[in-house]
Amino acid sequence: MNSVLAAEILKVRKRWMPYVLLLVMIAGAAVLIWLIGYVGYQEDQQGEFAGDAFRTFAFPWSIAALLDSGQFWGAAIFVAILTSSTVSTEYNWGTVRQALIRGQPRWQFLAAKLLGTAIVCIVFLLIAFGVGILFSIIATSAEGKPITLDVPGGPSLSVVVLMVLRSAAGIIPYGLLAFALAVIGRSTALGIAGTLGYMLGEGIVVAILDSIGGIAADFREIAIGHHVASLAAANRIGSGDYNSIAARELPVSADLPDVWIASLVVCLYSVVFAAVAFFVFQRRDLRSSDR
Amino acid sequence: MRGRTGPSGRPCNASLTHRAAGSILASVPPADSDIVLRTVRLTKRYGRRIALADLDLEVRRGRVHGFLGPNGAGKTTCISLILGLIAPAGGHVEMLGLDTRTQLSQALRRTGAILEGPAFYPHLSARDNLRIWGALSGSAEDRRIDEVLALTGLQARGRDKVRGYSLGMTQRLGLASALLHDPELLILDEPTNGLDPAGMREFRGLIRELGAAGKTVFVSSHLLNEVEQMCDDVAIIKEGRLITQGPVAALVRRGDALELTTTDNERAQTVIRTLKGVGSVTREQDCLVVEASRERAAEISRALAEEQIYLWELKPRESSLEDFFLEVTSEGNARE
Repeated sequence: MNSVLAAEILKVRKRWMPYVLLLVMIAGAAVLIWLIGYVGYQEDQQGEFAGDAFRTFAFPWSIAALLDSGQFWGAAIFVAILTSSTVSTEYNWGTVRQALIRGQPRWQFLAAKLLGTAIVCIVFLLIAFGVGILFSIIATSAEGKPITLDVPGGPSLSVVVLMVLRSAAGIIPYGLLAFALAVIGRSTALGIAGTLGYMLGEGIVVAILDSIGGIAADFREIAIGHHVASLAAANRIGSGDYNSIAARELPVSADLPDVWIASLVVCLYSVVFAAVAFFVFQRRDLRSSDR
Repeated sequence: MRGRTGPSGRPCNASLTHRAAGSILASVPPADSDIVLRTVRLTKRYGRRIALADLDLEVRRGRVHGFLGPNGAGKTTCISLILGLIAPAGGHVEMLGLDTRTQLSQALRRTGAILEGPAFYPHLSARDNLRIWGALSGSAEDRRIDEVLALTGLQARGRDKVRGYSLGMTQRLGLASALLHDPELLILDEPTNGLDPAGMREFRGLIRELGAAGKTVFVSSHLLNEVEQMCDDVAIIKEGRLITQGPVAALVRRGDALELTTTDNERAQTVIRTLKGVGSVTREQDCLVVEASRERAAEISRALAEEQIYLWELKPRESSLEDFFLEVTSEGNARE
């Protein structure tokens, strides 16, 4: 399995797409830290949103801001695009058939693809996150503030790791949704559009149903975004509510499900999406016209 | 029978009557251990359309086995079924003594295959592609990659990205990838598509060498000449049904008819019809076709000379695989 995984990583890392997406994510981190955070704070230090702007760019609060906004606007989209592309290009190039006639079981082919893509995603997302933190450190220094985790309610290093893991958990269901859609539709477009459509559409539907009230409002309890928001909210540093620019409903932390329940729900969705992908792929006829 | 030349040019273009399709199966059935690939009543349906119907194929060890059929006959469907890419509606496949319903992966690890139009990662070099395929087959050593690149004439272009390859080079790379793990059985679907005449000739030579080296090769093609030149056995399908299979030598019979041109064909026809041991005598363009063995030639020439009819030309007619194929794939010959 190791050599199969290495082969999978070789395929992905020699494509230009992950590098372009990495640049886009780094650009996004720059916009968040410098434009929304630093410049926003400089322009209105006494204003209503000065605190939010400060917590967006200043270290260590920027960790939470980068993880939450990055999770929604960067990571989930990055993962959806890369995952959909790595799956559907195997169909487009006809290499899926070529791989399977070498005796690789179908489950192993898909598992290797999932794992290989996940490893590339993790590496690239950590690089983008690292560059974002670097921006934050520079901006914090420019503001004359100390670079330290030792602030009121500040996280320890292990808590920072936990925060990263929570964010990762919030990305996984969207990545697997993209994976399942790409496997089912053999299409990069379906994987990306379906996932982004779901992410944005869910927020809209939840808002509409919430305004209707009653049982309709309870729909949010089964929405992925609602539980991902719970994971993001658990990442807040210090007092005050969490700071997010994600385009999903943003209830106050008290209205969000418990973080463990949220983790369970997110995990359940992930398992369902993966199971659908494996089930479909295992039973599918791979004809020459599928290339 | 490898290395046989194709049919010689003939002045007449009509085909001879062959033995009934299906009666040319090898007279002595091979032992089970000799069968490397067997399909048992293999069937595939797409909706109401039957793509393959109760196909029983047998490929013997160490033989080059051709798989002939017109376009759309079901060759690629059959190969996809054998390789487990599509699921049968009925029947099963036994490969290298393994039942692929339960041991597909094990069987495929000992098999090399080229699918119709081999596929590669275009952004990677040939070497990287072979490394990937090798990793899947458990044989990604650089030394072996060098060997197969050299064997297929791609050594100098091994570091080039595959997206810059011609179709012929891609076919060669397909063969290199199929040979990478030194398989016992090779399954090749239209492997010479896209090759120029020199490439096709070279490819045929390579297949024959593999056969001579003890590999079993199952190769589909719609090119009759190609199959006739490189295969020991052949199976012919049409509309998803097996029409016949057996040694090529048994299909391409020689010397069961004579072609002759005389100074007076009309009288010659009458004279020859009076001879014993001679079958039909038919006129085709400017020659006569006499259904008789080569041994009757002297008797025929003497009888004609006695009637002062002299020969311009007398030669045995060779029937070709093409004749046979066209005959058995014409309407109404599919075995029900």
